[in-house]
Amino acid sequence: MNLVVNGGAESGPGGSAEPVGSVTGWVVAQGAPALVGYNVGAGYPTPADPGPVRRGSRFFSGGESPRTALVQDVELPLTGTTGRAAVDAGRVRYTLTAWLGGYAAQEDGARLSVEFRDAKGTPVALSVLGPVTAADRGARTGLLERTASAAVPPGARSARLLLVLTRSGGGTSNDGYADGISLGLTATAGATSTGGRT
Amino acid sequence: MTRTDRRNLLKAAAAVGALNLAWPLSAGLSPAQAREAAEALGADYDPAPFTLGVASGDPLPNSVLLWTRLAPEPLAAEQPLPEVVEVEWTVALDRTLGQVVAHGTAPASATLGHSVHVPVQGLRPDTRYWYAFKALGRTSRVGRTRTAPAGGARRVRFAAANCQAFHDGFYAAHRGIAREDVDFVVHLGDYIYEHGQVGGVPADHVRDHEGPSVFTVADYRRRHALYKGDASLREAHAAHPWFLTWDDHEVVNDYSGTGGGAPFMQRKAAAYQAWYEHQPHRDDGAFALPDPEIHRVRRWGDVLELTVLDLRSYRSGQNLPDGTILGEGQKSWLKRGIDRAPDAWHVWANSIMLSQLRGRPGGPYMFTDQWDGFLAERKEVLGHVHNSGLEDLVVITGDWHSAFVDDIRTDFDDPTSPVVGTEFTAHSVTSGAYSADWNRTNGPLMGAANPHLKYFEGNRYGYDVYEVTPERFSAHMRVIADRRDPASPVTTLTSFHVDRGSTGSYEDPATKHSPAQWRRE
Repeated sequence: MNLVVNGGAESGPGGSAEPVGSVTGWVVAQGAPALVGYNVGAGYPTPADPGPVRRGSRFFSGGESPRTALVQDVELPLTGTTGRAAVDAGRVRYTLTAWLGGYAAQEDGARLSVEFRDAKGTPVALSVLGPVTAADRGARTGLLERTASAAVPPGARSARLLLVLTRSGGGTSNDGYADGISLGLTATAGATSTGGRT
Repeated sequence: MTRTDRRNLLKAAAAVGALNLAWPLSAGLSPAQAREAAEALGADYDPAPFTLGVASGDPLPNSVLLWTRLAPEPLAAEQPLPEVVEVEWTVALDRTLGQVVAHGTAPASATLGHSVHVPVQGLRPDTRYWYAFKALGRTSRVGRTRTAPAGGARRVRFAAANCQAFHDGFYAAHRGIAREDVDFVVHLGDYIYEHGQVGGVPADHVRDHEGPSVFTVADYRRRHALYKGDASLREAHAAHPWFLTWDDHEVVNDYSGTGGGAPFMQRKAAAYQAWYEHQPHRDDGAFALPDPEIHRVRRWGDVLELTVLDLRSYRSGQNLPDGTILGEGQKSWLKRGIDRAPDAWHVWANSIMLSQLRGRPGGPYMFTDQWDGFLAERKEVLGHVHNSGLEDLVVITGDWHSAFVDDIRTDFDDPTSPVVGTEFTAHSVTSGAYSADWNRTNGPLMGAANPHLKYFEGNRYGYDVYEVTPERFSAHMRVIADRRDPASPVTTLTSFHVDRGSTGSYEDPATKHSPAQWRRE
C-alpha cells in the first residue's frame, strides 16, 4: 500500500503551468509548485515522453520559484504485519519510489527524500532519490524512475517526505518534475537488526 | 610513532615513490589495507566499531545530543555490519559510569552510515556528565559533556576552531582544546576539505587526502572518516560538547547552496548527509535530511546568547544588487532575534568574515565570497543592530587562516559611523596561511586600507578561547609552535578585551608587544 497522499499530483488545484498555493496532502514549505497537466504541452512532459506507464493526468513541477519544497508527514501503522511491533522487531522494510525529471538539456531537477523518525522526531533512517541529471535523461525532457529500499529501524514511528524542485541558471520556470511518488512497507520473515548486547 | 619517525618515513616513502602506492588509499587497496596504510602514515582510530570516537553537541539546560558512528573499517564505502545495529547509550554523573542518570538504545542504520544521534533529555542544568556507547559486544571510549546553566551563571569559557585541512598539519590545536577548561567548543567551518590529493609530501604537507575529490555520500563519508583519524580531533570531541556551523569546504569551494544544477544538487545533498552523519548535530528543523537546519540560538545562563549562523545553505551568488548571504528566512529570523535579545553578551558564530577587508588603500575587496560580496544585506543587518539598540555584540569568525580583530561599524567606509560590535577572526587549526613575507608586506597595507582593522597576525596556527563574565569578554589567541608536530605545545599569543556596555576592543597590556603584522596603536 502506498502511504503517500497525492503522490501523483492528481488531486486538488492545478492542471496548468500556473503555480498553486496549496497541494492536497502536502505542505508547501517553500516556493509554489505547479501541478502541470500532461496535456499542457509548451515543452512540458507529454504522454509521449519518458515517465510512468500509468501516469495519470498531472505531475509536479517547481512552478516559477527557484526552489520549491513540499513536505508530507506519514504516521507509520500502529498494528498489523507492518505495525509498531513488527517495526520494533526489525521485520519491516520500506521502499521509496519516484519518477524524477527535468527539461531537455537543462539541469533543473527534482529530489525526493524520506526521513524516518523515532517518537521524539530524531532521524533514524534516510533515503534520497535524485535529482536526475540531464545526462541521466540523455538531454531529453522526461521523468526517470528512481527507487530505494532499506530496513525500517526499530523505534521508527513516522516518515517525513521532502520533495525539492530546483531551478538552475536563469529564466523563470522551475522545471524540476516529479510524479508517481510512493512509499510502501513490507513485512519480512527475519529481523534485519542485531542486538547490542551480544 | 614519533613525529620524527613519521616524517622520516614520509620523506623516505616520497623519495622512492612509495607514496604513490600508499596514497591514494583507495587505489587497489582493500578497505583494511587502506586503513593499515593510513595508520602507517599517521592516522589512527579508536577500537572497532567505535573507530571514529564519540561526541556530544548542542547543550541545553536539560539536554545534550550524543553522537557516535559504527565504522569497523572507517575508510570503506560500506561497513561490514548488519543493516541496522542496536546501540546502547549510558549517561552518568561520574567518569566510571557508576552513577547512571539516563540510558537507552538507538538504532544505527546503514542508510545513515550507522551513525546514531541521541538527544538525551531530563538532565540537570549546569552539570557535567560522562557517557559511552555499547554495540556488538564492544564499548566505546567514555566521553565528557555538560549541560548549559538555566540562569545565573557568572562565567562561561569556550573555544572556537576553524579550517583544519588534514594535509596541512596535525591537530595539535585540537589537542590543546581537549585540555582547555572550557564549557563548550564552537567549530566555525571547513571541518573537512573536498578536494583531492595535494601531493608534495612531506616538504609542504605532513600527510595527504586518501583519494581524489569527493562527490558521493560514500566519498564524503570516507573523507570525514579520514579526518577523524587524527586522535586529537577525537579527543577534543570527547572532552567537550560542540556547536557547529559550516563553511564552503564541507561541500566545495565557494559554493552557494541555492545555485547550481542537478549534478551539484546531488553533490550538496551527499555532503550534507555525510556531515550530519559525522557530527553531534541536533536536527529538529522544519525541513528534514538531507537539508539539516543548523542556524539556531542558544543561551548560556544569563551571560551569553549564542547565535549560530548558516552562511552557505541559503546564499545567492556574490556581488548581486539583491544578493543575500543569509537567505530571506534566516535574515528575518536573525532580525527578530536582535529585536528580542536578552540583556547578555551576544555572540554570532559566523563562518566567514563580516568586516570589510580591502587589500590596499583604494583597492578592491579581497574576497567577495565573504560578507563583502553581500553589501546591501550587511548594511541592512548592521543597521538593524544599531537601530534596535543591541549592545555587547561579538562576532567570532573563521575561514581566513589568520587572526584579525575588527571594530564592526554600520558603514565601514565611514570611520565616523557607529561601532556596533567586535569581530574576532581566529587562526586556523592547520589550513595554510599566506607566507610570512606576504603577511609582513600586506599587514600594514590592510591596516591602512581598513580603518576598523585593529590587528592582523598570519604567521601562526591555533584557536581562540573566549572567557566571558557579565563585565568583560576576553579573547585569548592560543597558538601552537609547529603544526607539523602532533603534540606541539600551546601558548597564548595575545588577548583582547571588550568591556560590557562599551563598544570596541583593546589589547591586553601584558601581550600587546607580541609579534603581529599589523596593530593599530
